[in-house]
Amino acid sequence: MESEFVKLQRIGDIMSSHGRELAFALIFLIVGLYLSKFLTKYLRLGLSRITNNLNLISIISNSFYILFLLAVIMVASTQAGFKAQIVFRFLMVAGLAAVGILVLFRPYIPSLPYKVGNTIKVGDVLGKVEATTFLNTRIKTFDGLTVFIPNRQILDDIVINYHFTGTRRVKVDVGIGYDQDILKAKRIMEEIMLADPRVKKTPRPVVYTMDLEDSWVKLGGRAWVDNPKFWITRCDLIEKVKYRFDKENIRIAFPQLDIHHYELPESFDLAGEEIPA
Amino acid sequence: MKIGQALKVIDTGWIKKDKGYRVHYQRQTGNEVTTEYTPDLDDAPLDSDVAAWRTAWKLQQATQTENSEFGEGKMINIYVVNDQGEQVKYYKTNELKIYNKV
Repeated sequence: MESEFVKLQRIGDIMSSHGRELAFALIFLIVGLYLSKFLTKYLRLGLSRITNNLNLISIISNSFYILFLLAVIMVASTQAGFKAQIVFRFLMVAGLAAVGILVLFRPYIPSLPYKVGNTIKVGDVLGKVEATTFLNTRIKTFDGLTVFIPNRQILDDIVINYHFTGTRRVKVDVGIGYDQDILKAKRIMEEIMLADPRVKKTPRPVVYTMDLEDSWVKLGGRAWVDNPKFWITRCDLIEKVKYRFDKENIRIAFPQLDIHHYELPESFDLAGEEIPA
Repeated sequence: MKIGQALKVIDTGWIKKDKGYRVHYQRQTGNEVTTEYTPDLDDAPLDSDVAAWRTAWKLQQATQTENSEFGEGKMINIYVVNDQGEQVKYYKTNELKIYNKV
């Protein structure tokens, strides 16, 4: 009980002798923390007007945030009565230790398989990575939703990163009727793909006769395009193929079932077996 | 002939790959008829003829009036050209097409 009283008395002594400095240091720290977040936000906005490189923006603004934060901590500590040299040394040692630990254990630290600005698919969510924190990843979907996914969940799930490869293969599958000219249809599809400026010359676009389905012949066009242009190129190619087939009188097949009706002699029952006399 | 050479022959002789598309149109400014393009010749062309034809159609829709006479502000001879300035066939009909033809 007595020791508790001594402790409280000591705190009271410190507050009476250094209270003003400590209060100032605390105010300085709080204001500094708010200011660092505020300035970093505006720096990020300003940089986004100069460059579209999200990685560069992230590196510059994060570096600024850390340096500003260190400066705030240093000034607040000296305000509280600590010697500037000691605080500086402590921060340096802590910083170097953190960097050392990161370098040493980096191979063992699970890292996220994407960067800010990448288009990824995690589970059912497809979108662009806007930001990553220690806890979660913020993704903006193409229909304008902002989705927060816990990094723990991402590390356990299958992630498709569409930025790892520069190009992507477009599939244009069309079914034509059995009575249609396959070679003519293949020629038209290949012409359309070759003529499109977005389709790569190598690997060359190809059209395969993929399958003989129940009521159509399946033709498969394959062409390579730059990843960002994948979706719109695919839509354009499908539209062009449809119209050109209409123009060239190539009938696109639709699911159909042919029913054949035969007249059976009266001596046959419904199962087709002859009725004994 | 090696296959690479054969492919070069095919590429140069069969299908021409355009590098981009622009919408060509003419309009009256004062007493003169000027030819303009969208996107401008200084800007990068569109990489989709589908998008270019859609723009051409929208320009026609936006500038057509009940009065069929060519006048101030009205756009005529709207069609799509390639990077060489050559008229491009309309992908729907595979024929040349001109909106507001005068």
